[in-house]
Amino acid sequence: MTASGGIAISGVGMRFGGSQGVTALEGIDLHVSAGEFVAIVGPSGCGKSTLLRIVGGLLAPTSGSVDVGGKTPSQARRDVEFGFVFQQPTLFPWLRVLGNVLLPDRVLGRRSPNSGPASKEIARELLRDVGLEGFENHYPGQISGGMQQRVALARALSYGPNTLLMDEPFGALDEFTRDRLNLQLLEVCKKSGSTVLFVTHSIQEAIFLANRVVMLSPRPGRIARIAEVPFPKPRTLEIRYEPEFAALAGELRGLLEGVDDDEMALDRP
Amino acid sequence: MSSTRERNRFVAAALRALPSLAIFALCLVAWELWVNIRDVPAYLYPSPTDIGKELRDEGVSLAVDDLRWTMIEAVLGFLLGSAVALFTAIVFVHARFLERVFFPWAIVLQTVPIVAVAPLLTIWFGFTLTPKVLIAAMICFFPVLVNATKGLRSISSQAVELMSILSASKWSLFWRVRIPSSLPYIFAGLKVASTLSVIGAIVAEFTGADRGIGFVIIQASYRLDTRLMFAGIALSSAAGVVFFNVIGLLERLALRWPDARLDR
Repeated sequence: MTASGGIAISGVGMRFGGSQGVTALEGIDLHVSAGEFVAIVGPSGCGKSTLLRIVGGLLAPTSGSVDVGGKTPSQARRDVEFGFVFQQPTLFPWLRVLGNVLLPDRVLGRRSPNSGPASKEIARELLRDVGLEGFENHYPGQISGGMQQRVALARALSYGPNTLLMDEPFGALDEFTRDRLNLQLLEVCKKSGSTVLFVTHSIQEAIFLANRVVMLSPRPGRIARIAEVPFPKPRTLEIRYEPEFAALAGELRGLLEGVDDDEMALDRP
Repeated sequence: MSSTRERNRFVAAALRALPSLAIFALCLVAWELWVNIRDVPAYLYPSPTDIGKELRDEGVSLAVDDLRWTMIEAVLGFLLGSAVALFTAIVFVHARFLERVFFPWAIVLQTVPIVAVAPLLTIWFGFTLTPKVLIAAMICFFPVLVNATKGLRSISSQAVELMSILSASKWSLFWRVRIPSSLPYIFAGLKVASTLSVIGAIVAEFTGADRGIGFVIIQASYRLDTRLMFAGIALSSAAGVVFFNVIGLLERLALRWPDARLDR
């Protein structure tokens, strides 16, 4: 059992496809406190997206257990305690930007924490927070990929989930857009107070965003290292040029020195 | 302001249609010249002006007495065939097993020559509306089924996961995600079906009817009245084009988001 809102992952393992199958994850132990921002970083095929889906109750692990504030992941999912941001924005092209952010409210109906006209106001405010004021009536097809991903972030936060799960949300974006979105993400997370599990393949991004960085090694996915990030929040992009930042990034990269590059390139989704 | 824009859009649409209309006019002129210069017998190849005269004299009564019935049969068949196809697609998408069992039979139904089935239906149902509607429905069924099945399956696994994270019911996933994402595909199928339905109705009328464009054409052929035959062909294809464009208009009204329409 954990304190309210925290996540406890104990001995989690995941095998796909029976005896001839692959072990995606093995012996994962991790505690995430309420309100903490934890980044999970590792090469492709290390099972980091799988781990995120296990925590979110979308996949059941083949061994071990996860506790989300006293509930199983699927209980927590049924109680709509998670927000999820995918690698692709996954917006519905037939809904306008505001309609996409309001989608959770519409789906949740009476279960939604926001009621009636208030939900529209909350959605507009979230869109302001992610810098999309004035785009409420655009269709997803009319805005850029970075803007689409910001809509997805606003959508995930619109119903005030305890935990935000993010699966390489900025992986497909250019560096400048990604920097700007990283800053906005820290901003909105501070405001919402959500616990965040953030999956990325960028060590830089992980260190910049997180309180702690979990480094996974591939095949099977195991925790190679859990590192505290020594920079206080709020952070600015400049911390990336501090020697401590470079040292930590170098140290984490060093953990994967032995891993064959070809291996790392396999299994890109 | 908006009326100017409306007018500009109308002008632009007219300009887009110009090349195809020009080609059509060119063909008519070539045909007219050929008939006149080579002096071919009019009972074999009536000239476009002859056909035009026929349409002028008989057009209204053909449209009121015959085309009306053909289109009633076509539209009813279209509605019936499309409705059954949509229902079947929804069943297929929710039960793969039923798709494996029944889809081969849908192909068989599609490959059965309707010219051969039409007389059978006429024997069973007589000179009524029923065999025509059934044939039109049969010919509409397949394109709508294939497109609707594909459309209902076109949602990404992430969209399903998103709805799962929102603890959405299957019902909600169906109405909020599957149906809207399938609409572009369904309309593509409906547009194909709309043109086929007129053909289906006419083929059925060939095998036993006392009214309708198919009846007119077959009767005219017995009398070597090629002018009337051409007039019937022209009227029925014009009606088919109108039907197609009505569905196209509904599509434009239903699919308002950018890049929604598949054939654009």
